[in-house]
This record gives sequence, structure tokens and C-alpha cells, in this order.
Amino acid sequence: MPNDNRRINGPENTLSYRLFSNSNPHSNVQKKIKDIFKNNTRPSERNFSEQRKIFLKCGVVSQAKGSAYFEVDNTKVIVSVYDPREIPKKTDYSLKGELYCVFKFAPFSCPTRRGYQQDAEEKQNSAILKRALESAVCRHKFPNFQVDVYVLVLENDGSALSAAITAAGVALAQAGIPMYDTITAATLGVQGSHKIVDPNLEEETLCNVAVYKNEGEKKYESHGIIILSMLSTHEQVSELYQTGNLSLDTINAAINILSKATKEIVPLVEKCLVNHVTKNLKTDVED
Amino acid sequence: MSLCEAEKTFILHGVEENFRNDGRERSQYRPMELETNIVAHAFGSARLRLANTDVLVAVKIEVDVPTIDQPSEGKIEFFVDCSANATPDFEGRGGEDLAMEIMNSLTNAYKSTKAFNLSKLCILKGRKCWKLMVDILLLECGGNLYDAVSLAVKAALWHTEIPRVLSVNLDGNNVELEVSEKIHDCIKLDVTSAPIMVTISKIGEHCVVDPSSAEEQCATAAVVVAISQNRFTTILQTGSGSLHPNTLIESLTLGSQIASQLDTALIEVLQQKSGEKPIGFLL
Amino acid sequence: MLPKINIRLAENRVNTSVAVNQRVPKIFTPGEIISEQKEFMRGHGTYEEDVYLKASVAGVKEQVNKLVSIRPLKSRYNGEIGDVVVGRITEVQQKRWRVDTNSRLDSILLLSSVNLPGGELRRRCAEDEHMMRQYLQEGDLISAEVQNVFSDGSLSLHTRSFKYGKLSQGVMIKVFPSLIKRSKTHFHNLPVGASIILGNNGFIWISSTVSNEEDNVGGFVQNLEEVVPRTDRETIGRLRNCILALAQSKIMLYDTSILYAYEESLKYNVADLLIPEAMVDISILTQHKLNLSENA
Repeated sequence: MPNDNRRINGPENTLSYRLFSNSNPHSNVQKKIKDIFKNNTRPSERNFSEQRKIFLKCGVVSQAKGSAYFEVDNTKVIVSVYDPREIPKKTDYSLKGELYCVFKFAPFSCPTRRGYQQDAEEKQNSAILKRALESAVCRHKFPNFQVDVYVLVLENDGSALSAAITAAGVALAQAGIPMYDTITAATLGVQGSHKIVDPNLEEETLCNVAVYKNEGEKKYESHGIIILSMLSTHEQVSELYQTGNLSLDTINAAINILSKATKEIVPLVEKCLVNHVTKNLKTDVED
Repeated sequence: MSLCEAEKTFILHGVEENFRNDGRERSQYRPMELETNIVAHAFGSARLRLANTDVLVAVKIEVDVPTIDQPSEGKIEFFVDCSANATPDFEGRGGEDLAMEIMNSLTNAYKSTKAFNLSKLCILKGRKCWKLMVDILLLECGGNLYDAVSLAVKAALWHTEIPRVLSVNLDGNNVELEVSEKIHDCIKLDVTSAPIMVTISKIGEHCVVDPSSAEEQCATAAVVVAISQNRFTTILQTGSGSLHPNTLIESLTLGSQIASQLDTALIEVLQQKSGEKPIGFLL
Repeated sequence: MLPKINIRLAENRVNTSVAVNQRVPKIFTPGEIISEQKEFMRGHGTYEEDVYLKASVAGVKEQVNKLVSIRPLKSRYNGEIGDVVVGRITEVQQKRWRVDTNSRLDSILLLSSVNLPGGELRRRCAEDEHMMRQYLQEGDLISAEVQNVFSDGSLSLHTRSFKYGKLSQGVMIKVFPSLIKRSKTHFHNLPVGASIILGNNGFIWISSTVSNEEDNVGGFVQNLEEVVPRTDRETIGRLRNCILALAQSKIMLYDTSILYAYEESLKYNVADLLIPEAMVDISILTQHKLNLSENA
């Protein structure tokens, strides 16, 4: 930002007001956790294993070969897929096609502003997205070609990456890219003994911090976020991504919970694709 | 260079037989070589060689301002440089993707307070803290990078010493630090619970640890786990394959066992009193 | 029970050299004057400046009559006609394959210098050109002989013999080309139950012994169904580790040295041969045995 000389600039050393405010998501974490999980129900009156209502639509970007819009509560994701094209700057012949994935948060999608350049988290998410999709796509069907997948998160209210994977799967299918299976993904947050499916942004931040088991006692609770994407008819996990600090048992349980959660989304994905096709058929007939 | 089908078949059958090309079992590691404190200008450093993989890690320390989200914690930053010395493929921006993957996995692995406690690095809440800058240099690549890097990072942090802060004075908004003048008056970091990363590759129907470059080519899928005291701090699947949930759980179990074993072996070596004779790197 | 993990401190590193007070020849460095007289002829690795003959590579002097050349200590493979090489196909082109043979330039295998499957003798037609990738594709390993050296130094290979052709299941390892001792045959069926091809280019192929040669007509067969039995596998693994141990200690590789190393290694587990101490131990014992048999 250009410096304005006519303005009186603030002092050189400043502290953010958020350090002292209660709205800081990281202050009073312990109390918040107790409040939220007090009655074994979440503030949204959801069950711990309950996902939010999903809205899914494909063919939303008219210029793209395939596209999808995915919405859960305030998490809104748009994915567009563009034609296979020759891999730019390729050096040697590759027998398998490439997926080029870009994951981007819109600048206004999070509490703090996101820049236009991809930051480390977005790059990481792009890589995860790529790995998750690669095992779902029949890459040998388009050797030496690349399919571009662009993901834009319009608003982030938690579980954005799993939403992106599911939506990208739909967009790829709609684009007519050969695929082995439908791909769906889900997120699980863990805080202490609570395992919550499809966490929203607040729950996600709470799951990212370690808190003491009891006040005064120097022992931390387990916590973490797990994202799992699944090819459901083949029963194959195409990507498992975890952060935090969890025991093997918790992860085993989480894999089971998430497999179920991903399966719940499959009918929705199928219906969305079928609806799109039948709708197009109808308009074709009318034409 | 890619292998031919017959070589892959040979490796595959070998894994099935639990007798790999170099005679190892599926869950066996290759011998490693470690040297610590070899960079004079670093606060802690280590070099690890695992077969053909050579990693140099150095830790530098700076005074910084804590983030707003964690005002009472210090910072740790990882930076991976895939030197073109390792392979010509890394020339220019070639190694960037790999570097980013390793960097992010390390950041995630060290993120949890339970795995690596940063609160000791805080000097004055919200104002001043130490920032550990962990620079990782890949000198040679011979497969199994994640494991080698995490071991070298832990070894470097083990020897890292932070200058002792004698007093903190608040002068208006300026913070003045008085650091002990004695060079050896330092605080050692507690890294006993720092995570170790293990790559488990699925070759055929079996899970294999410490794959050689050739074996990496035969793997249908691979999982990287970071383990801190038998608990997972990060998991990611690398490569383009997928796994059945049961196989996944099986490989996670194996990974956690191997990690705790690696951890014991590493700490055992680190506790050995190392002599004064510097060896240096790259053979 | 998981196998033990071995981490050592660098200061405990073992010295891999096994040379016993042998005379070290003078090593020339680039730019060093070899001779001041003009009567010598300029060979490889040398250049003339003013009246001097100088070295252009680091290595030892070799002299044939008036021809002086410097042989570099470490170099890529310089092919000679008649050499046996092991190589990997890097590219399928029109009427020829490109082969990586550890030389400065990729070697060429012409479609007309291979035996057709079934051993048919005829001119290569357009159909054969289309079939090339079926015969040999990228990544495949072959054994071949150097037929010709082109003016730019790249090699032309041929596989017109039953012993050459596509390699099947086994292990390839790479060593310095200068460690391969030239001998009458580079194909060995070792009595320990494995076959070995010591490519002059430093690529060594180890596989289980091929029982009937007649099966191998044309050399395009890869048996992917066959499972190499455990005993063969152990022999191959042991040979691999032994050769790497010898190569690390810079001992010349030929059938006798490899067999000696194999015998000496029998007291170790195959996997234990990865440990530096064991590797050096084998090298020392092998060197000793070789010296004894030389003197005898």
C-alpha cells in the first residue's frame, strides 16, 4: 500500500486489538469448548455425526467443460474443469494424463483477507486435491494431456477442502473425463473425546488447538482435523490428510466415521449428475 | 529412470517373499549416518545420510513478534531447498513442488503444542518471541526423503541452544532485551516429543518401509505419517494411488511402530558423546 | 519383532580403502606439463601448448610408443567395438532405439541390428517399424555388443546373437566403468546359482541362471509370471551387496573377485551386508585372497 505522507501515521510499534478482545478465536478456548460441547450437542443443534445440508449443482459455469457449485451452510465452493489440452512445457512423453489443480480462497472468503497470490495453505490444498482426484480419474485415457481443475472458495465456513474435492469430482464427471468412480470427501474434527463430522469454521479452529485436560495439569487433550476422500464403490481411500495430535485408535475410529460420511454424499452426487443429464435431454428434445 | 516391467515384477515378488532386492525385510531400514553441530554459524545443525539420500539441516534463531492468534508462543518455520546439486531435475523451479510438500508436512507435524511446545520460546506475551528458522538442504536424493528430513530436523533441534534472556524491560512501547553475555549460558530445547516421519509404501499387497528409489517406482500408494510419542501429528498420502481402509489402518499401525523405534535409535545416537573431530558432508 | 534400526555417528565411519602400501602412480591434473619434448604424439586427455604437452583431465599417464594419453580416474563409459554392454531403452524412434549406456551420448540400437522374434532373417519392413514398441519399450533393459563407434563418440549396438537381447527378471546395479575388468567373456553362470553380466559400461546385471538357452530365441521374451524362488533371490541379493561392497573399496570386478567376495560374505546375513563394517570386512578378505592366489 502506498504510504500517505499527508496523513498522520500511527506509532511504529503497534499491537493488534484482537490480542485483547474476546472475539479472538484463540482466546478462552477452553471455555468455548466447554460451552459448545456442553450438552453433547453442537450450537447448530446438529448431532456430532451429522453433516450439514448440502446443496450441489453442476453445469454452473457456462464456459467450462464441466463445473459444479457446492454449498454447505456458509461454505461455498465453485469448481470448473477445462478440456484436456497438451501439457505446456512438457519435456518427455508421459503415458498418463496430468491433472492440474488450483485451489484458491477468494480474498473475502475468510475472517482475514486472503491475497491474490496462492499462499502456502492454498498450495498445500491444491496438492491434496490433486492427489485425491488422481486416483479417481482414468489418467491413461488421455496420455500426454492435462486437465485443468480450478477451485474457488467463495466463502469458508469450515470443511472447505472436502467440499472442494467432492465438487471437483462432480465437475470432472460432468466434463466427461473418464473416471473409475465417484469421489466424495468429508472432514472430521476431534477435540478431546469429541469427534465432530463436518465442522464449521469455529469448530475447525477449536480443533486446531491443544488444551489442557484439566486446569493446572500439564497434559494436553488430543485434537485434530482429518480429511478423507473415498472412491465408494471400490472402497478405496484416495487421500487421507490429518493434522493435530491423535492416537491410532482415534484415527481408526475416524476412518470408519468418515467412510460412512462420504458414502452419505454419494447418492447426492449421483442424483445431481443424473438430473443434469436428464434436464439436458429434455431441452434437447424440446429443441 | 523408469524401470522395466520385469524389474518391477522382481521387486514385487521380493516384497511378497519378505526378501527385498538388497536382502532387507519389509520393515527393515537401511543403515544411516548422522553428524551433528557441523555448521559453525548455526545454533544447531545436523547432517543425515540414508543410503544415497543426504540432508543437511541448520537452525537459526531470531527475535520476532508472535502471531496474534498465538500471542504467548514462539514461532518455528521450515524452509526446504532442493538444491540442483541433488539432481539436475531440481534446476530452476523444478524442486519447488517437492520442497513445498516437505515444508508443509513438517509445519503440520510440528504444529500441535502437544508435539512441540513453543510456549518456552515466548519472551514477552504478544510482543517478543524467538523464531526458530529451520533450513533444510537436500544435498542428494536417493528416495525416502520425508524420513531422512524429519530425523535430521529432530537431530538439529536436539542440539539447538537458545540464548538466555536475563531481563525484559518495557520502555513505553519499546521492548528491551538483555541477553546473557556468556556464550555457553544457553537453554536447550526440549525435543523429546518432536515428531518423526515415516513413509510406508504399498508394494503389491504389502506395506514396506524405507523404500529405495527403485522400490518407490513400484509402489501403488504411499502414506507419510508423522508420529510424536505414539500419536499421529500428521498423515498424508503421497503419490497418486489409493488404498483400502483396512490396508490404510494396517500401514498406519506399522508406521507408528517403526517411528517409535526410529525415535529410540535416534535419541540413543544423540546421547552418545560426539568427539571433536569434524567429518563434514558429501563423503 | 521389528528388525533393529542402525544409526551411526559420522565419526565412527569406517575407512573403505583396502589398498595395502601399493605404489600409487603419478596423477596428472589438468594443465600439468607431461613432457617438454615435441617428439611425443598427442593422445586422449592431452593438449599441446607452446612446446609443451599438457594434461587436460585428471588421471594417470598411459604411453604406447610415442603416443601419450591421460586416462581419467573417473569418467563416463568410452565404448570400444566388441564391448559387452548393459543398457536401458530411453526412447523409441524411427527405425532405431536410443539406449542409455552410461556414455556421454545415448547409444543407438538400429532396428536392423536386432534379431527379429523367432529368429527370422529378412529385410525390416514398415510393419516391423510399427511393432518396435512391442519388441522393446522405454525402460526395458538389454544386453548388447558395441558394433561401431560413430564420429561423435556415440555407440551403435547390436543384439545379433542369442546371448544378447532383452533382460528379464533380476537386478541391475551401476558401478564405475573402470572397475570392470576386461576379460574373454562378460557372461558368467556362477556356480553359486546365478548368472551375471558384467557390462563394460559399468552396468551389471544379476539374475537367476537361465536353464535352457533355446527358449531365448530373439531375446524379446520377458517371463513376468515366473516367480524367482527364495534361494535364488538370496543368492542374487547377496551378489548385489557383495559387488557394491567391492565397488565401494575400488576392487576390480570379475568372476573370481566376485566369487571370493561371495564366499567371504557367507558368514553374514544378506541384509547385514549393507552395514559399512561388513562391507569393508568382505573387501579386505577378498583383496587378501586375490593377492594370495596371484602370488601362488
